Amino acid sequence: MKITFKIPQGLLTDMHRDLSRPHEYAAERVGFIACGASAFGAGGLQFLGDSYHPVADRHYADDPRVGAMMNSDAIRSALEIAYNRNVAMFHVHRHEHYGKPGFSRVDRRESARFVPDFFKVRPSLPHGVLVLSHDSMAGLCWLARDKHPVEIQEFVVVGPQVPGLRAIA
Amino acid sequence: MNTRHSRQSFLGDNSVEVLTQSRVGIIGLCGGGSHVCQQLAHIGIGQFVAADFDHVEDLNLNRMVGSCPADAELHRPKNEVIKDLILRINPNATVEIAGRWQESGHLLRTCDIVIGCVDSFTARDELEKFCRRFLSPYIDIGMDVHQVSNGYGISGQVALSMPGGHCLWCHGILTEDRLAQEQQKYGAAGGKPQVIWPNGVLASIAVGHAVSLLLPWNTDLPLPSLIEYDGNRHITRPGARLQFLKDAPCPHYIGEGSVGDPFFSMAALTPSCPVVPDEQT
Repeated sequence: MKITFKIPQGLLTDMHRDLSRPHEYAAERVGFIACGASAFGAGGLQFLGDSYHPVADRHYADDPRVGAMMNSDAIRSALEIAYNRNVAMFHVHRHEHYGKPGFSRVDRRESARFVPDFFKVRPSLPHGVLVLSHDSMAGLCWLARDKHPVEIQEFVVVGPQVPGLRAIA
Repeated sequence: MNTRHSRQSFLGDNSVEVLTQSRVGIIGLCGGGSHVCQQLAHIGIGQFVAADFDHVEDLNLNRMVGSCPADAELHRPKNEVIKDLILRINPNATVEIAGRWQESGHLLRTCDIVIGCVDSFTARDELEKFCRRFLSPYIDIGMDVHQVSNGYGISGQVALSMPGGHCLWCHGILTEDRLAQEQQKYGAAGGKPQVIWPNGVLASIAVGHAVSLLLPWNTDLPLPSLIEYDGNRHITRPGARLQFLKDAPCPHYIGEGSVGDPFFSMAALTPSCPVVPDEQT
């Protein structure tokens, strides 16, 4: 199954702008993107970025062992979005470099703890995590609560002249 | 780069690959759409979704590129004629044809760009809504021949409707009045005047928009979302409305929850994905 993630250039810019803001004690920022979904081609799956939801300043835990640690209120707020709207939720953070980013072991371990919870409130849609770099991105997607995540193969940024990613690819 | 595309090498070292992998949907395959398909095939677009439910008639032969009297005599479907046209130019292209695009949403949603060459405002409205839902850039062309005091006036426009950008409503192409008038005339619109050269001008601009989205050949490409065409003076210019839209967001496609298939569920898909081990980086 080919999985594609499509996002408007403006929404991606908004995400980068938010993730660039300093926080009082967290070393980095995180957020969630709510997405529509659809079948795509022969057995494929497509996510369509709809809205970005920054994690509020007060929803970070003060944990110097990691770049950013969300508290339970952050997760609860994101779960509420998935509960109230027919959306797939993706956690977003950024690695401060250029080129294709990858998920660290900590990223994988921590996301496996909270992403499956989205299936409790929105079981009909997949959910996952994205990691951005300054000019690229990568993603993991849970197709079901009890399954291992799969990689998102293709990202499409829709906008005129997106340097580095291809305008439409 | 092969010899065939050497004169368009300024589009980039990887331009042939990008064009070959690109998928463009063309809705309406007569006056405007036939030009669009012909040009895209020459450029090297590799994948087409071409939709039109109509058949070729004598009255189409004055403007439908690729059609001939035999097509009209045989009453051939326009989409088949256009498929032949594309494959004659680019035998390696993949052309998927459809009748009513509304029944082929599964094909259209896979397109990188959709170009609408439709007659009615209702169809434009529906197409744009569809494209916004699937975050597809939508390029719309339209022309009109109308009677004026001293003869006839030819006018038209090309609109680029990007997700997050201004839409056909912002540009004044779609209005409640126009939709209402069209609905009142439904079934009795009669044949609208159409000629080949304005369609060619507008189709060329639409193709230029499409290529500049896929392969921007300049870092400062102007992509005005509305280009107006004065077919009597043979001039095009950025739409007059653009100055009033500057810095104002589109008020018509805002809000959350308007993208994707609202009826989609994972139950409809059969998962067969390779699983990534937990600790693989």
